[in-house]
Amino acid sequence: MAATLCILVPILAGLALYALPKKSDRIAKIIGIVLSGLIVLYVAISAHDADVSVRWLSRPFVATFHVGFSGISYWIALLLAVTTFTSLIALTAARARDFVAQMLILEGAMMGVFLAKDVLLFALFWDLMLVPVFLLMVGWGVASRRADAMNLGARGTHQTAAWRYLIYNMVGGLSLLLATAAFGVAYGTTDVIGVAGLTPLGEVWAPWILAGFAFAFLIKTPVWPLHTWMPETYAELPPEVVAVVSAVQSKAGLYGFIAIGLPLFANEMHRFAPVMFVLGLVALVYGALIALVQTDAKKIVAYSSLSHLGLILIGIFSFNTLALRGALVYIIAHGLFSAALFLTLGYIERREETREINRLGGLAADNPRLAGGLMLAALAALGLPGLAGFAGELLIMSGLFAAGYWWAALIALVPIVLAAAYMLRLFQMTMNGPHNADLPKRRDLSWGEGLALAPLIIGLVLLGINPGPVASAATNALHAAVALVPAVKDASR
Amino acid sequence: MNPIFANAVTAPDVAALLPTFLVAGTALVVLFFDFFAPKSIRRSLAVALAILGLVVAGVLTAQQYGHPVIAFSGAYIVGGFSVIFSEIAIVATIVSLLLTLGVGRDDQVAGTSALVLWSTTGAMLMAGAGNLMMIFLGLELLSLGLYCLCGMSLRSTAREAALKYLILSSMASGFMLYGMALLFGATGSVSLAALASAHPGALFATGVGLFLIGIAFKLSLVPFHLWTPDVYEGAPLTVTAYMSIVTKAGVLAVLARFAYAALPAESATALLVPMWVIAAISMIVGNLAALAQTDMKRLLAYSGIAQVGYIVAAFAGRTDYGLRYAMLYLAVYLFMNLGAFAVLALMSRDGETGPRLASFTGLAYRRPWLAGAMTFFLLSLAGLPPTGGFTAKILILAATTNAGYVWLALVLILGTAISVYVYFKIVRIMFVRADEAHVRDERGPIFIPWIGVAVCAAAVLVLCFYPLTPSDVLPVVK
Repeated sequence: MAATLCILVPILAGLALYALPKKSDRIAKIIGIVLSGLIVLYVAISAHDADVSVRWLSRPFVATFHVGFSGISYWIALLLAVTTFTSLIALTAARARDFVAQMLILEGAMMGVFLAKDVLLFALFWDLMLVPVFLLMVGWGVASRRADAMNLGARGTHQTAAWRYLIYNMVGGLSLLLATAAFGVAYGTTDVIGVAGLTPLGEVWAPWILAGFAFAFLIKTPVWPLHTWMPETYAELPPEVVAVVSAVQSKAGLYGFIAIGLPLFANEMHRFAPVMFVLGLVALVYGALIALVQTDAKKIVAYSSLSHLGLILIGIFSFNTLALRGALVYIIAHGLFSAALFLTLGYIERREETREINRLGGLAADNPRLAGGLMLAALAALGLPGLAGFAGELLIMSGLFAAGYWWAALIALVPIVLAAAYMLRLFQMTMNGPHNADLPKRRDLSWGEGLALAPLIIGLVLLGINPGPVASAATNALHAAVALVPAVKDASR
Repeated sequence: MNPIFANAVTAPDVAALLPTFLVAGTALVVLFFDFFAPKSIRRSLAVALAILGLVVAGVLTAQQYGHPVIAFSGAYIVGGFSVIFSEIAIVATIVSLLLTLGVGRDDQVAGTSALVLWSTTGAMLMAGAGNLMMIFLGLELLSLGLYCLCGMSLRSTAREAALKYLILSSMASGFMLYGMALLFGATGSVSLAALASAHPGALFATGVGLFLIGIAFKLSLVPFHLWTPDVYEGAPLTVTAYMSIVTKAGVLAVLARFAYAALPAESATALLVPMWVIAAISMIVGNLAALAQTDMKRLLAYSGIAQVGYIVAAFAGRTDYGLRYAMLYLAVYLFMNLGAFAVLALMSRDGETGPRLASFTGLAYRRPWLAGAMTFFLLSLAGLPPTGGFTAKILILAATTNAGYVWLALVLILGTAISVYVYFKIVRIMFVRADEAHVRDERGPIFIPWIGVAVCAAAVLVLCFYPLTPSDVLPVVK
């Protein structure tokens, strides 16, 4: 029941917010914060909640409205609830009523993606979550804000980023849809996510069906060379939305590989592994190199995401229990620190009205709290021991070594070192040095803004000290999946 | 040779035809009462009577479900298959009549309603038609009403549309009639059952080809689609809305019966391949052409071309599932398309000329509920959740891949990808911040279309989570 509520309540509440009077921005924000806070608590206590399942289709394949928390879903759902909560606290956008409404709808749709236990339902929410992001980008994106500032109206905006986001992800979504239909026809049922002891789909068409899924997953993650929508989108979206999108939406594809790919397409996943390794490694190195030379602060973090998610992809495709656990820990860790990074960058942009790191500088002197927040997030991102990023990276690397992919681990080491370089560069260029006289000086973080970062940073520290609960909660689900992979090199025992 | 009326007309024959008669008769009643109606209630009386007749006919039709009757020696067949298509035509007529209430002059409403009812009669005849003559009779009855309806308005574009429709549609009828003549020549019978057992030869194949060209013309499949955008744009909004569903329901019923039951088993697959190719081309071309449109009626016309392509694609392989999901998609299309038209009606001052794309600018900030409803219908047209369009589309994909037509499923996906851009262009423009001074906020004359919007939105939502896919609907011929 809890899973159903976590999906439906935000969506319905978001729609209901539109019934408020137009000027009730403050009330809407408070409702949003309280509701998303309650959802955090509710998700947190629902780990062992029973699944809910209602029949949807009987022909031509069985599909159900089946939602529930299993090991993997629980942690990602919690991550989603926390990042939405913090983003809503940090929110300062104009027309807050509509903004909060869209954010809540987005939360509900993404909850659906991760809590769905049926592939068709998964596909439904996968497509649904595009819509609020598109509307947020159209209504509150950079182009739209600039138009607001210059009083241009609709004619002044172009919004290619919004289109690029939509078209890329829609093509992925449709590929997922076709793959789902073909899978349903071939397998007879789509009610398969998180079910133990499934026989993999052994069909002539299986590689093609997996290719359809994989295409959608790779676009969403995104992985080189399908990533070109991502930096633009992250730069265009308001920081509160990017925090959620980069933290959680980008994990939908990786989650798909774990939840659908591993148990049902064991052999095909194995066959695809070399390609995925190449793509992941390229993303890893390429993202890090681009992040080194970007001057737009948001794009630095966007490209660093590309790099980190490449590492997770390799972790998944090494078919090693240790690496898979590491992948999950890193999924959560990346969600926490990328949300924190984007929120702090949002604070910087709000104060200095620019994201160009060449123009920024010297903020630490007057804004110690802001500097502290960015420092912690950046340290987690570059993999400082003791914070969550390190735990994930270490597990993935050990898994890679154990599985015999020592060469991949060696290559992956370079971008991990580069991460230190670009993250420290980001911090140094924004926080240290002289303050640019052209830019305004504003006050340090307010209580609300600081509070918004707190849950993320606490999460990073806790997960860094003890990644055990996240890693082990998923062990059962992961183990069931990995056991099916032939010739698995399991070094965790 | 099997003369049509060799036997005397029996009671079951009449019973089978009763709903159809009722709809036709209601038109006369509407016209009759219009003479005596006081001016104040003239409009509402005509529409109310028409809707009443349709509801009764709808109930009677529904009772035929599951009780197949072969009436008039196989000329008219009711039961599962025809019931679904008839009901779709009836429901579409009711919703479009609701939109008619505020349109045109007082003295025209009764006439419009009567013509609409007669056209619906034609569509219902086509749904049950069991021989070529009945098909042609239904088709012409449907079309004749529509020619008049297109020209009902005083605008010159409407008359142009009517004339264009008359000429091009007659040409299509000509093709079809010639095809029928050849089929008659090849088999010596007008009944569809005779076709199924015919020995396929060159004459037969040519007949089938010409018949299918006629069908493609009426369904406005590419490359026989050129009349559609002009006629849709010129005709009054309500007529366009009506025509976009009811014609399709009637003609698709004929196509389905022809493809499923009336072709010899050994040659059917080969004979129908051109139809699937045409459907595939329609999906791509329709959506591409819709990209460039700035008039909403034209845009929906091109989108309709593509949507029919999706439905016809479901017939590929002639599977049981394909037919069911085609019916489901048609039902969803009824609601999502008429819903979109109801929104247009609420945005057009005279209720006849549809709004242009530009008048949607910033609609979400001026009339949020209307923009929300439109977004919902557009999501459905694009096949996105949580709408019936999503479920119906994935079921069609399942049916086509199951039938082995993977290439058709791939084209369908490609077409949908293009269509997303078309529909989201409208969504984007509604949610963009507008300089309010530059947009004229046009409001429709009456509130009634809101009922249409609400009904359609509810139906589209319900069909997503509870897709009605009736069994036992395979068409028969005898």
